[in-house]
Amino acid sequence: MRKYLSLPFLLAAPALAVLLALSVYPLVYAIKVSLQVGAGDAARWGFGNFTRLFGDDLFRSALLHTFSYAALALTFEFLLGLGLALLLDRPLKGRGVFRALLLVPMMLPPVVVGVVWRLMLNPSFGAINGTLKGAGVDTDSLTWTASPSLAFASVVAVDVWQWTPFMFLVLLAGLQAIPREPYEAAMIDGASAWQTFTHVTLPLLKPAILIALLLRTMDLLRVFDQIFILTEGGPAFATETVSLYIYRTAFRFFDFGYAAAMSFALLVLTNIISVGYIRLLQRQEAA
Amino acid sequence: MRPTLISALVLITTLSALLAGCGSERGHLTLAVNSGVEGDALKQAAVDYEASSGVRIEVVELPYDNLFEKELIDLNSGTGAYDLIMLDDPWFPRFAVSEFLTDLGPMYEKRGQGGPDDDFIATSMALCRHPYETGRLYALPYVGNSQLFFYRKDLFEKHGLKEPSSWQEVLAAAKTIGERERSDDGGRLYGYVMRAEQGNAVVADFLPIFWAHGAEMFDPSGKPSVDSEEGVAALRLMLELGRHAPPGYASFNADEVSAHLLQGSAAMSINWPAWISAFTDPARSRVAGKMAFTTLPGERKPGQAEIGNWLIAIPKGSRNADAAFDFLAWATSPEQMKRSALRGNPPTRRSVFTDPELLAKFPAYPAQLRSLETSRPRPRTPLWNEIENTFGIFLSKANSGVLTPEEAMSQANAEIAKIVERNR
Amino acid sequence: MKATLRLLKYAAVIMAALFGLIPVYWMVTISLKTEAAHFSVPPEWVGFGPTLEHYREAFFSRSFGRYLLTSAVVSVSSTALAMTVGTLAAYGLTRLRMPERASRRLSLWILSTRMFPPIVTIVPLFLMMRDLRLLDTVASLVIVYTAFNLPFVVWMMRGFFQELPRELEEAAMVDGDSRMGALVRVILPLVAPGLAATAVFCLIVSWNEFLFALVLTQTEAAMTLPVGIAGRVTQYEIKWGVMSAAGVVAMVPILAFAMAVQRYLVRGLSLGAVKG
Repeated sequence: MRKYLSLPFLLAAPALAVLLALSVYPLVYAIKVSLQVGAGDAARWGFGNFTRLFGDDLFRSALLHTFSYAALALTFEFLLGLGLALLLDRPLKGRGVFRALLLVPMMLPPVVVGVVWRLMLNPSFGAINGTLKGAGVDTDSLTWTASPSLAFASVVAVDVWQWTPFMFLVLLAGLQAIPREPYEAAMIDGASAWQTFTHVTLPLLKPAILIALLLRTMDLLRVFDQIFILTEGGPAFATETVSLYIYRTAFRFFDFGYAAAMSFALLVLTNIISVGYIRLLQRQEAA
Repeated sequence: MRPTLISALVLITTLSALLAGCGSERGHLTLAVNSGVEGDALKQAAVDYEASSGVRIEVVELPYDNLFEKELIDLNSGTGAYDLIMLDDPWFPRFAVSEFLTDLGPMYEKRGQGGPDDDFIATSMALCRHPYETGRLYALPYVGNSQLFFYRKDLFEKHGLKEPSSWQEVLAAAKTIGERERSDDGGRLYGYVMRAEQGNAVVADFLPIFWAHGAEMFDPSGKPSVDSEEGVAALRLMLELGRHAPPGYASFNADEVSAHLLQGSAAMSINWPAWISAFTDPARSRVAGKMAFTTLPGERKPGQAEIGNWLIAIPKGSRNADAAFDFLAWATSPEQMKRSALRGNPPTRRSVFTDPELLAKFPAYPAQLRSLETSRPRPRTPLWNEIENTFGIFLSKANSGVLTPEEAMSQANAEIAKIVERNR
Repeated sequence: MKATLRLLKYAAVIMAALFGLIPVYWMVTISLKTEAAHFSVPPEWVGFGPTLEHYREAFFSRSFGRYLLTSAVVSVSSTALAMTVGTLAAYGLTRLRMPERASRRLSLWILSTRMFPPIVTIVPLFLMMRDLRLLDTVASLVIVYTAFNLPFVVWMMRGFFQELPRELEEAAMVDGDSRMGALVRVILPLVAPGLAATAVFCLIVSWNEFLFALVLTQTEAAMTLPVGIAGRVTQYEIKWGVMSAAGVVAMVPILAFAMAVQRYLVRGLSLGAVKG
């Protein structure tokens, strides 16, 4: 009996050890670093890095950008992904091919996505404005990456471009897992297409929706790579996200303490959101 | 399929273990350079040196922002990953104050020399000392960049304009040319173009205007003073110039600026000399022979270019400091600097600037030399990187219309004051 | 009516597919065009004279060959490690005699470590690697990516193992196999497709990773392809051609892998929560 218990534990132990060493320990280490104000020998212990968070307008606006970025991208990705999933749920000739083609953007390395869209969006020499100019359109006001609001819209659009396929795939799988019977029952009751959608499809799709939203939210809140390549946070700070701001603080200004304090703020906010989603999911499973 | 996959996995894992073993080692030099024309010249020099001396040199090319980050990481933790680093001069105070760099004085003494010869341009040499101009020597200047004013000679002559000596004249010329001219393909021709991308770029293109208006980043007591009346006037002029610049200039860096100038769709700009060779090359430039290069315009004060030299230093953590110094002395010798100049890099030695062969090839050398000798450095503070970043954000906000010049400057001043205060 | 609806449906799907593919196609054309033709107005979408110049520059005068090799080594070794450690752990967890609730808790905790924004752990990991003198080594990236992929492997493989009845290995053990023997001879072959799909996901994640590779490397000894691509933004000009050529090279293997595991894609992406 003893032997029976210990082997599975031994098998699991290395993984737990790795996670403790490389996920949990770094967090503890980060707490220590965040409580050190100033660099090198002059460092003092204290909560200075955390109090500084509250007076830092740039951090606040980076936080605001991160959350509005996440909210906007999530909304569009969800609506477009759901639409595509509904379109391809019913048998359609060439469905397999379409599914394969639609998923291309999501597989690309984010750095490559940044490069691709820099090529497309450059206000003077990009493919979009080039094509429009060729067609006689005045592109003077279409400065995709140069005006703050357009640049923000552009980085959101790039995210939507890359990740709508993900929503689509997960939701499509969810749709296909729904049994036929509830639909047949709805038909017998004479429900309209809209009624069937809101009363049958959506409720049954809810677990898939929640999972898709949870995973996307977590990824959106950490966004770094594409923006780093595409705009580096500019112009006018309009596309600076928390991850970029932390990166800059740590590795360009070498203020690891403050970077760690900001990381904690981000971690806490991310956790609150993910716990919220997981609660919803569990309630869903219990129901 | 599966057995092959597994054996491939095993093979590659072993290979990786082998690769992991090779880090930086004794006996060969690792050199961190800026990816671009300056770094390329040094990279070629390294190849020559390898051939003549037998010392193995590995060159690491990194893009501008990343180069600073990597160097700071290496220096700060003394990893000794690099034996020689190329650094932009505004980074120097940060590295020197923290005592990250090898003092070159004893290196010269060891070789029975008093120090570097006096052929080096004084303004370039001053950058390599800490404190500025007077202190110990921690680097040698390799690329003698200082800003030049580029303008289309042909268009100026056509419209009876004279070489601008003040920023108001630049503005007037930009207006005239923008209204009356079209580019070759019938598109618009913009009077002025500048780098206004948030960060290093916008600050670099703004400072000469700022200084010409008599503004200063810091007052004599060390408090930031960018929100002075002069500073706001300078920013207002920059925005005026922006109205004659191509749309979207607020996101431009050197890439877009050069492209506009080369394609003949912009008439004036501040630029670095490294680009001159591109303008005279008909394969790349539609304006070959039409571009003039001169010193910067003034306004309330005479114009002063910003100096932007690339220096080479030896990190304290290097395990090959002596071999590194030998390379450094070799690379900055008159003969090698001439070769570097032929590869497109502005020199930092007077003898190279006045070399007849080079003068024939680079007609802008006299202007460059004048600009370099009268140039002025960015503030010598170890906090420059953070200050430049913050200043850049607010300049970018003004250029993209989010803030008025007054708001941008007073907010920038407050944020810079915070940085100074925090590090007191 | 029905025919029009069908047509509209096709039109919408084709539009979506084109929207996804055109930018990628544009990058491919840039990688094949001469520098002079990069920014011609109107842009040349087809019919330009192709050149392999940028590929030659990337692989012969720049170090992209080396970046490619490093990327391959790092992705494959970290995947192999994460798969080995993670699969054993997943098996252990499903066979641990512990209450279902506790086991689920433990697995959820393991999964939650994957939810950390990477920027949160990057500062401490960087300092740790520095103290261990592992900065700028392939090993540091392999370690970090292994830790990064591990929760995913455990979670995925746990799902596959749970679907197998315990009686299977118990029967094998009655026949004289040890528990490990039963695992290797009976269980693993049954979950082989799951193993393959999970491995490909780890490969993709490691191959695409940028932030850690950017921070933990200093010389070409350990730089990966994404870091090399980002490095082509030089101070005076952006090397569009070389960057695009490298982008194409970075993209092709990933697309090939992704197509290979299409069947398991949804399951992997949604961490097994939605069976696809």
